[in-house]
Amino acid sequence: MSSPPLASPAPVRRALSGPALIGLVVAMIVAVALPVFTTGYVVYIANLLLVFVVLCLGLHIVIGETGQFSMAHAAFYGIGIYASALANRAVDLPYPVAMLFGALVAGAVGLFIGALALRMRDIYLALATFAFGEATQWVFANWDSVTNGPNGLRISPARFGPIEILSDKQAYPFVLFFCLLMIGLTVAISRSRLGRSFRAVRESEVAAMAMGIDVRRARIVSFGLSAAIAGFAGGMFGLFQTFIHPDSLGFQTTILVLTMVVVGGLGSIAGAIGGAIVFGLISEVLRQAPQYQEIIYGAILILFMMYAPRGLFAFIGDRIREARHGR
Amino acid sequence: MSVNKTAAGLTLAASLLIGAAAGAQEPGITDKAIKIGIFGPLSGPNMAYGFDVVNAAKMYYDKINKEGGIHGRKIEYVVEDDRCNANDLVAAVKKLVEQENVFMLNGGSCSAAVVAAKDYVVRNKVPYLMLNASGDGALFPPTDYIFGAYSISQYAVGGAMVEFAAKQFGAKNVAYINHDDAYGAWNLEGSKKDAEVNGVKLSVESINPGINDVTAPFLKVRAANPDAILLVTYARPAALLIKKAAEMGFNKPIILSVTGTASLNQLAENVGKDALKNFYTQEVMIDSPGGAKLKPIYDMYKAAYPDLAAKPDHPQTYMPYGIPPAMSLVKALKDAGPNPTREKVLAALKTQDFDSGVMAGRMQFGPQQRAANRSTIFIKYDGTTMAPLPGVFTSRWTYQAK
Repeated sequence: MSSPPLASPAPVRRALSGPALIGLVVAMIVAVALPVFTTGYVVYIANLLLVFVVLCLGLHIVIGETGQFSMAHAAFYGIGIYASALANRAVDLPYPVAMLFGALVAGAVGLFIGALALRMRDIYLALATFAFGEATQWVFANWDSVTNGPNGLRISPARFGPIEILSDKQAYPFVLFFCLLMIGLTVAISRSRLGRSFRAVRESEVAAMAMGIDVRRARIVSFGLSAAIAGFAGGMFGLFQTFIHPDSLGFQTTILVLTMVVVGGLGSIAGAIGGAIVFGLISEVLRQAPQYQEIIYGAILILFMMYAPRGLFAFIGDRIREARHGR
Repeated sequence: MSVNKTAAGLTLAASLLIGAAAGAQEPGITDKAIKIGIFGPLSGPNMAYGFDVVNAAKMYYDKINKEGGIHGRKIEYVVEDDRCNANDLVAAVKKLVEQENVFMLNGGSCSAAVVAAKDYVVRNKVPYLMLNASGDGALFPPTDYIFGAYSISQYAVGGAMVEFAAKQFGAKNVAYINHDDAYGAWNLEGSKKDAEVNGVKLSVESINPGINDVTAPFLKVRAANPDAILLVTYARPAALLIKKAAEMGFNKPIILSVTGTASLNQLAENVGKDALKNFYTQEVMIDSPGGAKLKPIYDMYKAAYPDLAAKPDHPQTYMPYGIPPAMSLVKALKDAGPNPTREKVLAALKTQDFDSGVMAGRMQFGPQQRAANRSTIFIKYDGTTMAPLPGVFTSRWTYQAK
């Protein structure tokens, strides 16, 4: 399997200069004010997109930063949803604690999968993680006494002290806050010594070892962190959605998240965020054209792969640079 | 002007104002139209469950509009694709309620997905009538707002089969093969009352829906020497079991649930005609798909969608399932009177009882009953011809609060 084209981590100062900074400020104002000028439906879509942003950040850690293949992120996400919902129900934990619990459970499973995956690479790793994802979905669907099996699980409304979250607009500030928190965490990981070791492993395991990096540890920790972030996304889902069914946690979700990360720009945090938002929105918009949506969706993917193989944001950056230099 | 005329004028003006105010409070209602939201899988792998079901509902509403509408108001519908996916279905419902401001909802073909909308619909007090989803998870425990199972409740599937085996074949010892999941548990639970009343002993064997080798479970049920075998499974295990029964020389009646196949021709191809010598299949409609009693529905479809009807795979098998929920919605609106409110419509739904002319049983709701249909017919199928048998067989199951 040939290595996918990867974006290099851009220095933050350069990324936030000029038009990018203005764009970011405008985006933040729109994001914060969204519930004031839109309907609950739009806010629901925004909540879903923010959850997918975090899920994509989780996948970015393992694929984009460390260069390991994973097709198990729908499973980690599901573990986060079930674990946080069940913890909340069983011991009435404050919801942020339940979310943290969900992330920890998913992270622990991720560490285990990471340890198992040490001997595998490329397509073999993809198949092994795919098998884990399928097995986990089977557990969700058949462990009746815990997950309520194919009936699906009702998620109790989240509570923050005296506030009970009963609508999308109520949930939105919390979802946005947690999403920003996870973006901050991912940037911090990426810029840390740990993040550099992930990228060194991605570029060349032999070279990384020669530099004194514990490749084994880096790969396991990468899987664990990645799974924990995906699990946290699951906890965020429970902030505004009151039901989960195993059918929602299958291969289709894995492929959707993988598409978002790859098309957004493999190896780039901005790409993972942008891919989640752009492809989430495209999916929702295409729901209005049911007869043509598969064709349009497929065509968009092919066009991206042909003309923007390094991802949406690298493509936009290239065009801006070309325009500046008058080419 | 006399005092009486003045009083009458004031009363009329007051009632108009009150009426207008009441109307203004109800979303989706104007003097000329009632706006409803329809949703179902219109794309993706589950499209066959809902595409033509949605078309059937639409053509029924168009027919009502041509006949003058409901108390002078036309039905205006907005259609959304739910892809049979929980997230998309909730998005569709929220869009219809909050952006399109519909008066009520009519949608959903997949049980797992419709349950995801339950809390939202109940919190927002929107009347919601499912399309062809059985949706028992959203129907029970009953709420004031959600009505469904117009095709059949999962709880009623097995009971109607037990009733048929007992009445048609005098069976006293019946092998009952279901799935080892919640759906299997629901239909088995619903069968117990019918088994008890008919003095039928059920030899139950629960199998995984993904089973590949059915030899062991089949040998186990054959050892119980049953008078008939009831297969309450999905298509793949059903085909494997029917084939295995033929291989093992089992010649007593095999009765297949409505969930067991979407295409009898396909089943015959898969198992071979020899395996269908003593075979019966359950049907929730009054006749086999495309049968004489359903001809008016198929004719209506041809007139409404001539281009689609000309295609070989249309109308899809489940098309007529879209008519009873649309009838139910129209009847509830009519019964709610000329100034409908959501509460009036919900009150009308709770006591609804009518014959759809499409489904085997009457569409009946009650104080605790939110699943419209509990009745089925049975068809003898020999691999070539479908012969509906006389009689309608109804499950005795009713919801009991735990």
